[in-house]
Amino acid sequence: MKRIEMKFGLKNLLVYALLVGGALVVAFPFFYAISTSLKASYDIFKIPMEWIPREIHWENYVVPFQTRPLGRNFLNSVLVSTAVTVLNVITCTMAGYSFAKFRYYGRDMMFLGVLATLMVPIQVILVPLFVLVKALGWLNSYAGLIIPAGTSAFGVFLMRQYFQTVPLEIMEAARIDGCGELRIFAQVVMPLVRPALSALVIFIFMNNWNSFLWPLLVVSRDEMMTLPLGIAAFESTYSTNFGQLMAVSLISTLPVLIAFLLLQRQFIQGMALSGLKS
Amino acid sequence: MTIFPGRRLKTNGVRRKSHLKRKEAWAGFLFALPAVLMFAAFSGYPILRTLYLSFFDYNMLTPPKFKGLENYVSLFQDPLFWQSVRATAVYILGTYVPTIILALCLALLLNRKFRLRGLFRTLYFTPVVMSMVVVAVIWKLLFFYQGPLNMLLGYFSIQPIQWLSSTTFAPVALAVMTTWKSVGYFTVLYLAGLQGIPTEYREAGMIDGATGWQLFRFITLPLLKPITVFVVAMSLLFGVQEFTAQYVMTGGGPNGVTRVLALLVYETGFGFMKMGRATAISIILFVILVAITMLQRRWLTATDY
Repeated sequence: MKRIEMKFGLKNLLVYALLVGGALVVAFPFFYAISTSLKASYDIFKIPMEWIPREIHWENYVVPFQTRPLGRNFLNSVLVSTAVTVLNVITCTMAGYSFAKFRYYGRDMMFLGVLATLMVPIQVILVPLFVLVKALGWLNSYAGLIIPAGTSAFGVFLMRQYFQTVPLEIMEAARIDGCGELRIFAQVVMPLVRPALSALVIFIFMNNWNSFLWPLLVVSRDEMMTLPLGIAAFESTYSTNFGQLMAVSLISTLPVLIAFLLLQRQFIQGMALSGLKS
Repeated sequence: MTIFPGRRLKTNGVRRKSHLKRKEAWAGFLFALPAVLMFAAFSGYPILRTLYLSFFDYNMLTPPKFKGLENYVSLFQDPLFWQSVRATAVYILGTYVPTIILALCLALLLNRKFRLRGLFRTLYFTPVVMSMVVVAVIWKLLFFYQGPLNMLLGYFSIQPIQWLSSTTFAPVALAVMTTWKSVGYFTVLYLAGLQGIPTEYREAGMIDGATGWQLFRFITLPLLKPITVFVVAMSLLFGVQEFTAQYVMTGGGPNGVTRVLALLVYETGFGFMKMGRATAISIILFVILVAITMLQRRWLTATDY
């Protein structure tokens, strides 16, 4: 009996050791970024390395916002990501509802068409999309950043799956009570799909907050840049100012990180869902 | 799945009802309309236009000039294109083979009840929610010649490495960084798969006297096959599309060894303004994506056991 217990303890110890080792590897870049963000340039590559900075330079978190329009970039990111998320919630839930709960001519063709665009990432349609947005006069504008990202095939698909679980009788009952279709949608059906909605919001917001390639094409003016572009631009102008660069990077990660820590379950489930369902 | 249920409706409609039904159908159609219009404008039209332009010479300033298959022919003869294909393949294999193996190991470790389990899972997942730009910027510093990784290697008396300016090590650096960023995602997928396996299977195996390795090899791993198929397909899709990592960390260099296909599209189209040629690369990229998706279907339907 005792031997079994000991073996069990040893095995657990090994598991812990491996997990802690992995955790150290994962955590090291964060640790190093934070440490560097608090150092003056001349201290960063000092030998021997100061793993924990002796002098703390908080100004790294302030100065970059004075030399480049990073504050504005931050606001742009908030605005664009929020608008994109709102647009997606509207378009994806409405389309998902329609594809799941109505019957009309052409429905299945449209749904298959939407599904087909799942295989068309931005990299494939880069050139014509850029030409189109340029022709619309949307370069360097919020419209150009927001509207092309305003719906998502994954979102439509996800919402359709959820709406299929809503029983038709609920809608029928509301119709008999004389409810209009819009009201049925907004007040009767929508509250029933809240879990899917939170997954959709997280997925869209996070993707858009981190989006890089499309904004890179649409925006060339510094003050219209979103945060990832602002950071990349800061990096290419002040590439050796690592302290400030790390500070800016950490600040830009903060909103998603806080949201993730608060809503871990929804994040992880949402991401796993986004994969497994398709 | 009921793909075409519309037919049945026409026959069972009572005349009195049909007016209401028609109104309902219109409502349904209108609900779908905003999304469908946006897809048509920002996905449907551009993909058709990509195909069209891939047969033309186009620089956005003068009208497109028809060239037939010339864009494709000259691409297939261009060593830079093949270098780019190679760079993409190296990136995918170098990143996702280790990622998938590590993710499976971590999932197996995490798939047991112990204290702090949630903490580990959270930590491993954190890089997944970060933007690739931030990750690349941080790792660029880690790989800096006087940076901390070379410093750590120095503790084992290994000579410092020119990570980002060496044609051998730049792809390694990219693979290491992307592995770090994506391992948590695949771990969570495997973890979900493991938790879906009923404990009875392993128990039955244990009663039959199977060793730990045998339990894993003959029970757990085969049951995880659908997840593995999905994970492999996902990593191929992610890998083929990656752009930001290379753009920020190496700019495609040194000597183009990390200029992956997505980056080649961007450079050809927006650096050299050869947009016809860029769309031809896009179409090749698209064909690869479709092939991956179809292969995934194949593997999945082949796994009924």
